[in-house]
Amino acid sequence: MSQALRKSLIDWLDDNYHFGDAEGLIGGDDDKSFLQNGILSSLGFVELLLFLDKSFGVRIERKDISPANFDSLNKIMNYVLAMPSYRGPR
Amino acid sequence: MSFVEVEFAFFLPLVLIAYWLLPRARVAQNSLLLVAGWLFYASWNWKLLSLLVFGALLDFAIGRSLGSRSLGDVDARGRRMLALGVSLVWNLGALAYFKYSGFFAQSFNELMTAIGIGASLPVLHVILPLGISFYTLQRVGYVIDVYYERQKPSQSLLDFLVFAGFFPQLTAGPIARGAELLPQLAQPRQLTPKLLASAAGTFLLGYMLKAWVADTVGTTFVDPVFANSDQYSSGLHWLAMLGYATQVFADFAGYSLLAIGTARFFGLELPINFDAPFISKSLPEFWRRWHITLNRWLFDYIYNPLVAGSGWFRGRFYSALILVFLASGLWHGAAFTFIVWGLMHGIGMAVQRGWDEWYRGLCRKDRKYVTLRKSALYGLLAWGLTQLYFMLSLIPFRAGSLADAAGFARHMFVSNGNVTLSIGTMSALDDLLCVLAVVLLHLLELPRLRRFRDTFFAMPAPLRGAVYGVLIVYLFLFVPVGASTFIYRQF
Repeated sequence: MSQALRKSLIDWLDDNYHFGDAEGLIGGDDDKSFLQNGILSSLGFVELLLFLDKSFGVRIERKDISPANFDSLNKIMNYVLAMPSYRGPR
Repeated sequence: MSFVEVEFAFFLPLVLIAYWLLPRARVAQNSLLLVAGWLFYASWNWKLLSLLVFGALLDFAIGRSLGSRSLGDVDARGRRMLALGVSLVWNLGALAYFKYSGFFAQSFNELMTAIGIGASLPVLHVILPLGISFYTLQRVGYVIDVYYERQKPSQSLLDFLVFAGFFPQLTAGPIARGAELLPQLAQPRQLTPKLLASAAGTFLLGYMLKAWVADTVGTTFVDPVFANSDQYSSGLHWLAMLGYATQVFADFAGYSLLAIGTARFFGLELPINFDAPFISKSLPEFWRRWHITLNRWLFDYIYNPLVAGSGWFRGRFYSALILVFLASGLWHGAAFTFIVWGLMHGIGMAVQRGWDEWYRGLCRKDRKYVTLRKSALYGLLAWGLTQLYFMLSLIPFRAGSLADAAGFARHMFVSNGNVTLSIGTMSALDDLLCVLAVVLLHLLELPRLRRFRDTFFAMPAPLRGAVYGVLIVYLFLFVPVGASTFIYRQF
């Protein structure tokens, strides 16, 4: 997994929601559910999708617009890294 | 027939006994559920059962058709879109015809009269099919999920017909996703003591909320104040709103628990619909806890595709929020009062978002604002404002017209009424106990106090049974005779 991508996501979570506490909330478990653990709400998840598009050129397909696909760091990274349009740190 | 009517007290045990006497096989169990669902619906109106059945057959066929060609198949794109379109036109068209045609025709006529044009449309007075707002959304969600390949199309007509007409959720939800209910229906269900205990506990709690809390507070306190608003003091208007918030929560959360408990008796799990909404400290949190299955539907199928899609709404969070809550208001009822209610919440959500954006800026500059946000004082203020806003939004929700809503709102501040509350009467004490029961249920959901709830459920079965017994005796004594219908059933 790309550590640089991971860091970008943590920075985004900190910059928008947790202000330095994101890493602590995730607690080293990159499979931890964002929705179930209050790391990201369903409203925040749409903002995450727009961030992925703006920062990495990842245009989420309409069929994939579901919180379930982006509910943890690992799920997001797997999705993003698999996208052909991804332009960012690998 | 509804959960609190006497017919249901005969219907449910009979269906349950038959269900568990059958072989534990999917076809046998689902066949019985299907017949029971259709009987349940026909007991209300057998003619409109055909609307439910036809719609289900259509969506089953459309699901199969969508599943036969993949989303990535360019040649099939037109055919797939046509299939999706047919389902949406049928489902939303039926909803529009039965629920909104009269309202829109009447509003159009009033508008034409107001601007001096004599044109008028005929106003149809059609019966609103029971549960149409709920079963339509459930089926539309299924078809959209199949279209986008988030859900495999059901291969069993029997399973799908049960999914589309499962009687515990048929009249007022919870609105299940295909992925939640269809896999359960594809397996035979087994009876276990744990299942029965859980179903009975949930059913009893739901019954308590509906038949005792909602009906007591509604009939003895809320309804009289709303019926003769000018006779009551301003203070009682505020208390009546508090009472109505309690009533509407107990009514619908109670209904939802009755539905979940009933489904559990049959070995099926429905999604939860309420998660202690009165502990919410923001409007977004409130809507994640109140009528959960409707709100996630609105966000999954309207908000998220709009904001993250490629159209005009992309990134336009504020407009999309207002639109979604206007849709929610209209979903609740074809009346201007519900539109105002939806608009209030759309604006409220937009203001909350604006505040959060602004506050984020402060937090980025200085961490002391992060600490402040986590403080008890901030939490208390946020909680108070959230709950007050929701309570005030219930004025148009409850009022019969905008004029009534405005009158009630005025009387909350200025009223010549002199009727006050008779403290110490049995009725007032019962009302107070009802409110305290709702407060207790919410407190037990707080992280610090959740262990008390868990301790109760970990107690030996006889002890829990004794508590349930006391509760049943109390309900027998204090449930108002002739329980009313469910508020959400009318939607």
